[in-house]
Amino acid sequence: MQREEKQLELSLEALISQVADLKNSLVSFIYKLENEYDRLTWPSVLDSFALLSGQLSTLNKVLKHEKTPLMRNQVIIPLVLSPDRDEEIMRQTEGRVPVFSHEVVPDHLRTKPDPEVEEQEKQLITDATRISSDVAQKQIQSLNKLCSNLLEKISKEERESESGGLRQNKQTFNPADTNALVAAVAFGKGLSNRRPPGSGGPVQASQPGAGAIIAGASGIQQVQMSGASSQQQPMLGGVQMSQAGQPGKIPSGIKTNIKSASMHPYQR
Amino acid sequence: ARSDEGVGRRPRRRKRGCAGGARTGAGGALEQPVKRGAPAAPPYREAKTMEAPPVTMMPVTGGTINMMEYLLQGSVLDQSLESLLHRLRGLCDNMEPETFLDHEMVFLLKGQQASPFVLRARRSMDKTGTPWHLRYLGQPEMGDKNRHALVRNCVDIATSENLTDFLVEMGFRMDHEFVTKGHVFRKGIMKIVVYKIFRILVPGNTDSIEPLSLSYLVELSIVAPAGQDVVSDDMRNFAEQLKPLVHLEKIDPKRLM
Repeated sequence: MQREEKQLELSLEALISQVADLKNSLVSFIYKLENEYDRLTWPSVLDSFALLSGQLSTLNKVLKHEKTPLMRNQVIIPLVLSPDRDEEIMRQTEGRVPVFSHEVVPDHLRTKPDPEVEEQEKQLITDATRISSDVAQKQIQSLNKLCSNLLEKISKEERESESGGLRQNKQTFNPADTNALVAAVAFGKGLSNRRPPGSGGPVQASQPGAGAIIAGASGIQQVQMSGASSQQQPMLGGVQMSQAGQPGKIPSGIKTNIKSASMHPYQR
Repeated sequence: ARSDEGVGRRPRRRKRGCAGGARTGAGGALEQPVKRGAPAAPPYREAKTMEAPPVTMMPVTGGTINMMEYLLQGSVLDQSLESLLHRLRGLCDNMEPETFLDHEMVFLLKGQQASPFVLRARRSMDKTGTPWHLRYLGQPEMGDKNRHALVRNCVDIATSENLTDFLVEMGFRMDHEFVTKGHVFRKGIMKIVVYKIFRILVPGNTDSIEPLSLSYLVELSIVAPAGQDVVSDDMRNFAEQLKPLVHLEKIDPKRLM
């Protein structure tokens, strides 16, 4: 029992904070529309709409969360209705609801739609269940066809009209760039020096050879320092030979290392 | 082993009082450089046995939990970057806008199998003192049309600064490197990264770079334990809110080879 109460409290707090965020973004949007309407651009309006939609979806997610108890099972009953001003309510609603009285309660605590609206909804639901499923399917298909025809007409109109020039400016991404960037991150297309891009090919190709040789040389130095690791030298040598493009130099280096390592390190 | 080797040589030169201190070895440098059979070079001290590591094609696990990365990618042109950042700042968690400048190197190990083993090493160029980041990414799991994001096995490890030396000693070879510069945002467990890729003109020199294209790459990713495919629905919902600025979709890298 107590756990449920705690859950209810927590979820209510989450809901209240979400709704407060939503309210704030609505307030700022309204302010923007009322005060800056001559400077307003469509992307800015889209931003506000996207923000609102994002907050609505988080609100939905909070409501659908498994830890949220079913609000349907909770009942809110007003205990005291008085026509006097209530300071507490004034404070909590930021001055919008001064009195908790008979006029205010039906609007704020409403759970069902208006009687006329409810009648219409019931009518529609009975109509929908009355028709058979294949008639419904046909209706769905004709609606889809109408929508696609309309979309085609609109896009054709847009293509042929002069506002096609405007549409170019609104392009915010380039699919070819997307593919190029994804390929670069996934396997280095256009980045690797061994597979040079169109310009500057031969200059870059000579550098990895130098890099591999330097890596090979440092590897040989460490082999000399370690001494007792003679078994590993042929393996390292093998790897370095496959890396370096000049096998002629490196194998001779390794042979000398094997000679020096064959001296027992403990001999004085 | 240390005390055994010391006993044979030391008594003539060292005072009696110091022998105990030298044996523990913790007090500081020994008085003479001792020629030892054991190697002194740091990379070899840790390895007990040295044998060719088998290049495994099994999914690599970092410990007990198999982590998967769910990924959606898209791009945005430079001129539309500001509007995208503005929208992301509104949609994502309220935190300080975070920019980064990283240098990533991709290492390959060519084993007996045809396809090489790939590891990615990344270091921050603007934040000092942060560890290097080593990442393994497996092959994307394809086939499930209901999954809206690209899914692949992922292992992330923080390492010290000698990572590249270590990888080269293991037999890895650097295949390519690049610099990334951009912004990172977070929303819950989702991470949104908007960055530009720079090609490095002189290998090893991260000052001479040029941008790869006129667009920024946008990646939406979640790293979660295997089996939680519901996160891909959350990702798709978030991606919907970024349209029409950016189209985030699941792009199969094999298609672009």
